[in-house]
Amino acid sequence: MKTEKINIKAALTIATAALLGTNNLAQAESSTTASAEENTWEFDSAFLFYSEVDRVSAGEAIFNAKKIFDNEEVLNLKLTVDALTGASANGAVSQPTVQTFTRPSGSGQYEIAPGDTPLDDTFHDTRVQFNGQWTQPIAPDYIASGGVHISKEYDYLSLGVNGNIAIDFDRKNSTFSAGFSYFQDTFTPEGGIPKPFASMLIGNSNDPSWDEDFAKTRIGSEDDKSTADILLGFTQVINRRMLMKFNYSYSMVNDYLTDPFKILSVVDSDGAAQDYIYESRPDSRIKQSIYTQSLYHFDTSVLDVSYRYMWDDWEITSHTIDSRFRIPLGDSFGTESYLQPHLRIYQQSAADFYRPFLLENEALPVFASADYRIGEMTAFTVGIKYGMLVNNGHELAFRLEYYRQTPTDAGFNEPGVLKDVELYPTVDAIIAQVTYSF
Amino acid sequence: MYGLIMNSLNIFISGIQLQHLLKQIKFTVFLLPFLVLILLISSHNVNSQEVVNRRATLEQALSDHQGEVVYLDFWASWCGPCRKSFPWMNKIQARYQQQGFSVISINLDANKMLAEKFLIETPANFTVIYDPKGKIAKHFKIQGMPSSMLIGRDGKIKSRHTGFFTNKIPEYQLEIEQLLNTNEVK
Amino acid sequence: MIYQKIQITLLVPILIGISGCASLGVEPWERDLLAKKEMSLNADPIDVALDDHIYFSKEASSGGKGFGGGGCGCN
Repeated sequence: MKTEKINIKAALTIATAALLGTNNLAQAESSTTASAEENTWEFDSAFLFYSEVDRVSAGEAIFNAKKIFDNEEVLNLKLTVDALTGASANGAVSQPTVQTFTRPSGSGQYEIAPGDTPLDDTFHDTRVQFNGQWTQPIAPDYIASGGVHISKEYDYLSLGVNGNIAIDFDRKNSTFSAGFSYFQDTFTPEGGIPKPFASMLIGNSNDPSWDEDFAKTRIGSEDDKSTADILLGFTQVINRRMLMKFNYSYSMVNDYLTDPFKILSVVDSDGAAQDYIYESRPDSRIKQSIYTQSLYHFDTSVLDVSYRYMWDDWEITSHTIDSRFRIPLGDSFGTESYLQPHLRIYQQSAADFYRPFLLENEALPVFASADYRIGEMTAFTVGIKYGMLVNNGHELAFRLEYYRQTPTDAGFNEPGVLKDVELYPTVDAIIAQVTYSF
Repeated sequence: MYGLIMNSLNIFISGIQLQHLLKQIKFTVFLLPFLVLILLISSHNVNSQEVVNRRATLEQALSDHQGEVVYLDFWASWCGPCRKSFPWMNKIQARYQQQGFSVISINLDANKMLAEKFLIETPANFTVIYDPKGKIAKHFKIQGMPSSMLIGRDGKIKSRHTGFFTNKIPEYQLEIEQLLNTNEVK
Repeated sequence: MIYQKIQITLLVPILIGISGCASLGVEPWERDLLAKKEMSLNADPIDVALDDHIYFSKEASSGGKGFGGGGCGCN
């Protein structure tokens, strides 16, 4: 989805960081499952379907190949393909009347019914991503890893590198790790980069003067974004059943951070929209987070709980609690099967330049965005996963989750008709995934 | 019904209650390690009778092989490199046996059944002594898994290795051969 | 207020790490449970990668999870 594009690069950072987690550990597999013997490949394939009610739907497929060499070196190659379709909120508020907006490309308009949240459904896109990661011990108790990332979709290119080192001490009961990653992205949105706070041109795209007028609302055809991250981690074995981890991360994102497809409604004192203007965000963002995770092995089941606190210079703060409880079912419901319920709770505060809408008579702020994804919201996910062994030790797993985002009022007065419309609509989504490892 | 569940979940999760809930959970997560620490300290105990039994078994095995070079290996079923080392240990047991060489392995699985299952999949043509409480390992101050020690013909420990690396096999074999070539020193 | 919270949150784990290193942890042969796949800090990497992509696209926070440590401790 083009509206998600700006964020995809960061999503890929996360995907890489998650990847780093798989490659850095020279771990033993349980003796009862088919283990990673030297010089054999291990493959994982997964397909995920994500669908919001009345909004975006996405399909994502991952194919991961891992090979462990003689001296504990690990090569990990991953291919990801995803496709997005459906409608996404454009940032304007709903009205008791019909509203017309222009598509991001400038060629065509679309109408929103009275009372509906304005959604733009122009976006269909396919993205292909490749990750390569090499991990190897460089000395007793020292493991180093490095990797590359490349991702391409119709209007977005992302290139990245990462490196990290993990050092064990006290009989490997404690591990200190440090890593960095750097991404350079180029964004060439359809319709070009809009001028910050320019009015959205609405009319007839077929008019002879349209192209010229539309071009006046643009300031360029492409822009860049760079992201640099550092992460420091400390892992401690507590006892035979328990492990804990603590991380600190620092991230700097620079250049074009605005979403070129999002607008804000400018309303009068009756709440009626008078104009739609393109949003504008600062050209830098510094994010920091602290993260802690605990793993506890009961008699047979395992509990994994983590907490992350994030804060940035856009005044956004967030809390994330994520927990998984793995319940082995033995062989009664399938060979070595298990059930794993999942619960995630999330809350964030609004960015300081977040405005659900702008008032006609107030001075324009320096930056403003009505994107609910940087507004105040709470969200939760509940899900369940079932896995079992098939065909000679291959693993098959199914996961089904429900994700509900509830944007909330960050304390903005609602003039006139805005009191009667839904300014903060809830977004419900279903996530379904199948994974096969062989 | 669905609406009712959703509504109650929504109310439960919204606003101030969430802040409070999050604070409590955050506090508990950080309190956990302190509770664990207290439990750890209070649960420490030693069983000296068992120590004597395990050590006696090993001492017996060592005295049976007096005058020989002994490769003492510490392994467990859950240790990947241990599994990689077994074919090689079977090989050296067969190859150097005639020259007065023996592999004695100490299994450290807390659950003996897992060790037996492992041995069915990966057989051992050498002695296996079970040390489920790790008393022998502790006596020898084992630093990692797997660990191995080479005992010379004079009964003294000549070298120790932590970890098993296939690219170091020539090195391990050289050490064994050097020890086999020395005569017993009185 | 927030910075105080952050300081405490960072201080607690560091204190555990420093003072606890001597008394926390296990002997190398006591890692049977820790060696299991489900006790890995990143036990379902494909699921985590897919979820992170979703949450990154729909929320304002990302990452912070990292890598390293735990496991069987072998080699």
